[in-house]
Amino acid sequence: MLLAALLLIPLLGTVLLLRAGGRLATVLHAATTLATVTLAGTVSVAVARGATLSGAAGLFRADALSAWMIGLIGVVAGLAACEAPRYAHGAARRFYPFFHLFVFTMLLAVTTDDLGVMWVAVEGTTLASVFLVNFERTRASLEASYKYVLICSVGIALAFLGTVLVYFADVTRFGGGEHALRWTVLQQAAPELPGPIVELAFVFLLVGYGTKAGLAPMHTWLPDAHSEAPAPVSALMSGILLAIGVYAILRFKPIVDVAAGPAIARRWLVGLGLLSMAVAAAFLWNPRHYKRMLAYSSVEHLGLVSLGVGFAGPWGLAGAMLHIANHALAKSVLFLLSGRIRTAYASPEIEAVRGLLGRLPLSGPLFLAAMLALLGLPPFGLFVTEIMIVGAGFAAGHTVAALAALALLVVAFAGVLRALQPMLHGEPGQRARERRTWASLPLIAALVVLLFTGLAWPPGLATTLARISAVVTP
Amino acid sequence: MKDLSNFLAFLGLLTTVLMAWRQSRPARVRLLALQSLLLAAQAVTIAAFTARWGLLLVAVTLVVLKVWWIPRALTRMGAGEPPRPLEPGRSAGVRLLVVGALIVAAYAVVLPVTASSTLPTRGGIPLAFAMALVGLAVCVTGRDAVGQIFGFLMLENGIFALGLLAAHGLPGLVEAGVFLDVLVVVLVAEALVMQIRDRHASLDVDLLRELRG
Repeated sequence: MLLAALLLIPLLGTVLLLRAGGRLATVLHAATTLATVTLAGTVSVAVARGATLSGAAGLFRADALSAWMIGLIGVVAGLAACEAPRYAHGAARRFYPFFHLFVFTMLLAVTTDDLGVMWVAVEGTTLASVFLVNFERTRASLEASYKYVLICSVGIALAFLGTVLVYFADVTRFGGGEHALRWTVLQQAAPELPGPIVELAFVFLLVGYGTKAGLAPMHTWLPDAHSEAPAPVSALMSGILLAIGVYAILRFKPIVDVAAGPAIARRWLVGLGLLSMAVAAAFLWNPRHYKRMLAYSSVEHLGLVSLGVGFAGPWGLAGAMLHIANHALAKSVLFLLSGRIRTAYASPEIEAVRGLLGRLPLSGPLFLAAMLALLGLPPFGLFVTEIMIVGAGFAAGHTVAALAALALLVVAFAGVLRALQPMLHGEPGQRARERRTWASLPLIAALVVLLFTGLAWPPGLATTLARISAVVTP
Repeated sequence: MKDLSNFLAFLGLLTTVLMAWRQSRPARVRLLALQSLLLAAQAVTIAAFTARWGLLLVAVTLVVLKVWWIPRALTRMGAGEPPRPLEPGRSAGVRLLVVGALIVAAYAVVLPVTASSTLPTRGGIPLAFAMALVGLAVCVTGRDAVGQIFGFLMLENGIFALGLLAAHGLPGLVEAGVFLDVLVVVLVAEALVMQIRDRHASLDVDLLRELRG
């Protein structure tokens, strides 16, 4: 019931917003967001208290892992929605409906128990967001959206190939049926599934969902799409959509670990994770556009998450899940602020941005704080999760990989800091008009949460993370 | 059933090879429609021999969507453009050699699947897999936007054929979702391709080079 409402609200909002314009559209947008965020919070809390929700005869299901993602989607969507009216202005019908449809597809992807439906929903995220990427209808945004839809559709088609192979493995042993792609069913069947086929399937699934997660070498669409989209859409895409790619891989991982042995998933995830971090570090050494810098930093962080999932163990998985959350908060705040910077300086180039702290007296310092959080400096949460993930590597005996990850983190750190420093200082020029302080309150709140995940875990967080790890550990 | 299904799968792969060979867009559109018709025939064959009547619905959807609607959309996208990509790419001989290599690779990769299947349609599994691989190759080497979309649809058809031959179709809900997905992908692609043509007066994707680094 709760899950059905969670899915129906954004869908209803989409339908209504298709017809609404002007002030009514803004009100409807706010109402839909508020209801979605409230329901997402309710689901997360209910599951955190120990329940597993399900609905529609088991088609929808929310365990600890799903609830974690639902909560994050709620948070990032809420943050992005607050900034959305600045961008939707005058073209509400091209913005709001797709925004909420996008949120709906993401929620569907993490609440369904059927891995086939999950695939449809993940592909749906691409199709719902492609017109948002092309919202500004410039040459660059058109190019970005074409690449986005083509590369992601092809990638996700490969994930479909993997899904078909998993279904085939299940059907050959158990005769199939309508429920053969249910995660709960597959997990029980896993010990009986033929290893070589599951292994083959996993390669396709990893390449496919890895494309959505922005893992190198399938990341090429990401910097274009994330930098050309309006800021709230970039926040959603970088903050949470990439993590949904990881979520999809995580759902298959315990099945593969049981059917084909744990070495396969580990090897691939560690390899792709390191490659992503290396590709990102190479770019981050000398970035030119600040939004592209943020986008490549997402490749880096998702690479780190992939490493954490690959290293596994209690620290690796918990670290990866918390890192997803930390990254979601820091990155969505940064993308939303980058939209304000873009408006103030009318340029996407790092070179054009000087004296940020003086020109935007509120957004500037916030940008600095969020940037330091993203770089993994204490006392912010990303510091803790980076330590957890690298530590998991040492604990699992992947000394070389863990050391390489550390080195790549340092390279990216130095590069980003080098780009950030001149942006902050220098001649501010004319002080830009900042919106009222309350408009920045959600962003400040997100940064405060990041302090909590770094300094003092709120009660229940450790239990929640342990329960998530238990879900994906066979 | 085995012979008929294998024969249809073979014809399906043949259309894929022909599509990789031919560069003329109208010819490719016709071949894609023919391939989708063969897929529908495959679905009907399996339905008739295994009494899975749901597959008849799949066949009807295939005909409406992939034999009728998508070819029309592809024709619209390319209307008024020269029927071939701007300049000839590599020679047809090299292309066909690559296709041949991919078919061999498909046989090798998919061996565990074929070996563990007990279905009478298992003979076609490597062929379907090869269809998917060749489609992927056509997509990534495509020189114009419509050519890339062709590749994507060939890949999609290959995976669909794999689902039919290896598992006699997927759960109904997933099948419906996949059809919806293809429909929306083509709609979105058409909208974007039309905008690209408006802006660049061409389908050449090499003109899309604003975003670098």
